[in-house]
Amino acid sequence: MLGTIFDIKEMAVHDGPGIRTTVFLKGCPLHCLWCHNPEGLISKPQLMFKENKCRHCGLCFKPCEHEECKPFGRCVHICPENCLEIAGRTVDAAELAKELKSNADVLGDSFGGFTFSGGEPLFQPSFLSELINLLKDYHLCIETSGFAEEKIFKSVVDKLDFVIMDIKLADSALHKKYTGVNNELIIKNFRYLNSTGKPYIIRTPLIPKITDTENNLLEIKKIIGESNWEKLPYNALAGAKYKMLGMEYKL
Amino acid sequence: MLNGSKLYNTIINKEHHKYRHNVDWDLANEYSNKGLSPIERMIDRFERVANEEKAVILPDEKIVFMRTVANLPAIFTEKEWEDINSKHYIHELGFMSNLSPNYYDTIKVGLLEKRKSADEYGKRSIDSIIALSDKYLEEAKKQGRDDLVEVLSRVPRYSARNFREALQFFRILHYSLWLEGNYHNTVGRFDKYMYDYLKNDIDAGIYNEATALELLEDFFLSFNKDSDIYVGVQQGDNGQSMMLGGMDENGNEVFNLLSELCLKASCNNKLIDPKINLRVSKKTPAERYTEATKLTKAGLGFPQYSNDDIVIPALESIGYEHNDAVNYTVAACWEFIIPNVGADVANIAALSYPKAVDTAFHNSLILSKTYDEFFDAVKSEISKETEKIHKNIKDLWFIPSPFMNVLMDCDIYSGGKYNNFGIHGTGIATAADSLAAIKKYVFEEKTISKEDYIKAVDENFENSPELLHKLRFESPKLGNNDDFVDSIATALLDAFAQSLEGKVNCRGGIYRAGTGSAMYYLWHANEIGASPDGRKAHEPFGTNFSVSLFANVKGPVSVIASMSKQHFNRAINGGPLTLEFHQSLFSDNDGIVKVGALVKNFIDRGGHQLQLNTVNLEMMKDAQIHPENHKQLVVRIWGWSAYFVELDKEYQDHVMARQAYSV
Repeated sequence: MLGTIFDIKEMAVHDGPGIRTTVFLKGCPLHCLWCHNPEGLISKPQLMFKENKCRHCGLCFKPCEHEECKPFGRCVHICPENCLEIAGRTVDAAELAKELKSNADVLGDSFGGFTFSGGEPLFQPSFLSELINLLKDYHLCIETSGFAEEKIFKSVVDKLDFVIMDIKLADSALHKKYTGVNNELIIKNFRYLNSTGKPYIIRTPLIPKITDTENNLLEIKKIIGESNWEKLPYNALAGAKYKMLGMEYKL
Repeated sequence: MLNGSKLYNTIINKEHHKYRHNVDWDLANEYSNKGLSPIERMIDRFERVANEEKAVILPDEKIVFMRTVANLPAIFTEKEWEDINSKHYIHELGFMSNLSPNYYDTIKVGLLEKRKSADEYGKRSIDSIIALSDKYLEEAKKQGRDDLVEVLSRVPRYSARNFREALQFFRILHYSLWLEGNYHNTVGRFDKYMYDYLKNDIDAGIYNEATALELLEDFFLSFNKDSDIYVGVQQGDNGQSMMLGGMDENGNEVFNLLSELCLKASCNNKLIDPKINLRVSKKTPAERYTEATKLTKAGLGFPQYSNDDIVIPALESIGYEHNDAVNYTVAACWEFIIPNVGADVANIAALSYPKAVDTAFHNSLILSKTYDEFFDAVKSEISKETEKIHKNIKDLWFIPSPFMNVLMDCDIYSGGKYNNFGIHGTGIATAADSLAAIKKYVFEEKTISKEDYIKAVDENFENSPELLHKLRFESPKLGNNDDFVDSIATALLDAFAQSLEGKVNCRGGIYRAGTGSAMYYLWHANEIGASPDGRKAHEPFGTNFSVSLFANVKGPVSVIASMSKQHFNRAINGGPLTLEFHQSLFSDNDGIVKVGALVKNFIDRGGHQLQLNTVNLEMMKDAQIHPENHKQLVVRIWGWSAYFVELDKEYQDHVMARQAYSV
């Protein structure tokens, strides 16, 4: 089973218990204005250009034979500064699982486990399910927006050890305005998660004047009750990657 | 806490420098005219400078003694020194440096007792030190500092009776070594030897943990009062290394309350001296790594960890007695040395792995039919180089240091119990990555012809951008837990160790292969042009036992896996794996615990030595533009920490080019 990922991060200290490795799946049904992983938003591969290192030598505009370079009209295998990179690679779940396990072998008992993040990992449900089955001997965690069909959400969450789920905005209309989707499904999935007795954390990114308002936080609190709740401070550097992708950061 | 106090600010703002002056004595010509022997010159200068020193006691200062004479006039004329150099091999400045003297037995008995067994010159040095401390005693009386009067009435003449006297005594001894002209005067296993004084005082109710910590902070501050005078290759390279923890002779862990307080004092003071080292082993509990990581978070580039499980047996296997091996400490940077009896010269020379590869690449690649054949050529270059180093070091001569000899339990000039020479190994990642590329593209895939490859390297890749990109960014690199290249690093280290086996150095000792680089990561890099790993001419190597500067590595887990596979028992001169972490990783306790767990893992896997840095690239960039705003920004260079703004730009740039792992 093939899937698309855009990064694997070792020692992701804020992605669950222990020393973990996080794999980032590409593609997301939400388009939050503040998203700090814009290369996770769309499923197909994207060209990332680190302009600040570019010496304008023009080598990348020379025609090349590489299949992967074709969609972009620029060669990614020639830059002396490595300014060009394709975000997104297609991988086979079995091969990816093998690659990931090498960290578990290195760390032995101190290995915390794997975290699936994105993008939205639930956006590639079959690929994710296969990965989960292949790695089921380890502590598994997901970072999710919670936006997925209930059936998918349940089937994945039931197989995981820990869930990190966002509730960004309590008001569905505002949710639609800033993330592109309504939040009914998310709240339904949250209620299921809460009913499973599985350990989880709710996260809310604090975006000034959008999510970081007294009213929103109050309303979220009403939804989640006594759940573990982490409020993540706004990362002012979040916009940096948009330019590299030729995308616009609207915040 | 001392940090922020008036005394602390006086020192960090260098206000105490106003008590300093330089002397312009022409001692060299005077000695030359009188025909004085080197040791007579050394003792005469010591007596004169000690006599010239003034007693300065700052308000609230508990641990006293600071330099007021800022320079030490030369004892040889230029001609004499040239003459000595032509007849002998002179190591660095000519002193036997990087020793770990026995302060602790002296503190137990007092200088008057040591005087009885000292030679004529040792006696004279002791008399000068006592005379200078009497000046401090008089000044203490004048200032009405009854506490200091009590301490200085006792030490250094007689044994220390309590923790405060022991710390003051240490300060006087350490200060005196510097005043004699010795350098890289290490501190040794401080917690092992000083703990009893602390324990007795705490048991007697004289100190509690908080007041003991405050005194210790004052003591730690004393290492920073004169350190700017003690410049090595750069400011900060002064060798004031302190060792904490580790096993005793019976295999029990030494770590005690004093060890804990030392970690805290260093954390609170946030100053680059003393440089903290921590000995650990499989027995070390996870919580200790968490405590030590809090110091890493402070951003001083230490503690540096050494693994007892690897170091002790390795030292024993090359001839160190068990009781000496278990007592090991580190020299100025990371070289493993034996306190009190060891007279090893742990940094006498360095091998450049990339140069060996470069020579073989140009002279033997064309003729090599297989990779193994080519690697044999590299091995042969390594052997030639170490043989050259060996042949070159004959008639090693040291400037005699009467007081250092008093503090050592052996006669260092005629030879200590151990007289081994340590040789660093520079650029292992550049060499291993180069060999991996050659193996893959020339011998396995056969996608690059030997001739084209050599041409491209010789042209500094100017006409082969695709090859350059492939070599730099798309080829196997050390640090990715990839056996293809990791095993080459292992083979290189083995070849280095093997080339030194059986050689007897000019002082009767052996040679030890090491994994450190010292400053050679810049020097050696300029001896060759571009390298087959895609490194361009003039780009530096990584420091010590590190991955290459431009290697795309997966992350710190893969790096510790790659860098703990090698046979360190054969190459135990020292030199750590260095990992850079972005400051944000330490933002909460969770991050600290996890970094500690990673360190524990490295040690449990059999890594030999590890040093972690907390870096903040944004801050370093700003510090290059606005140095005045970042006077206290500390970075680790190769075996020592320094204030960023006081470094030459090439060292600053190297620190900034290293790969940092962030969240």
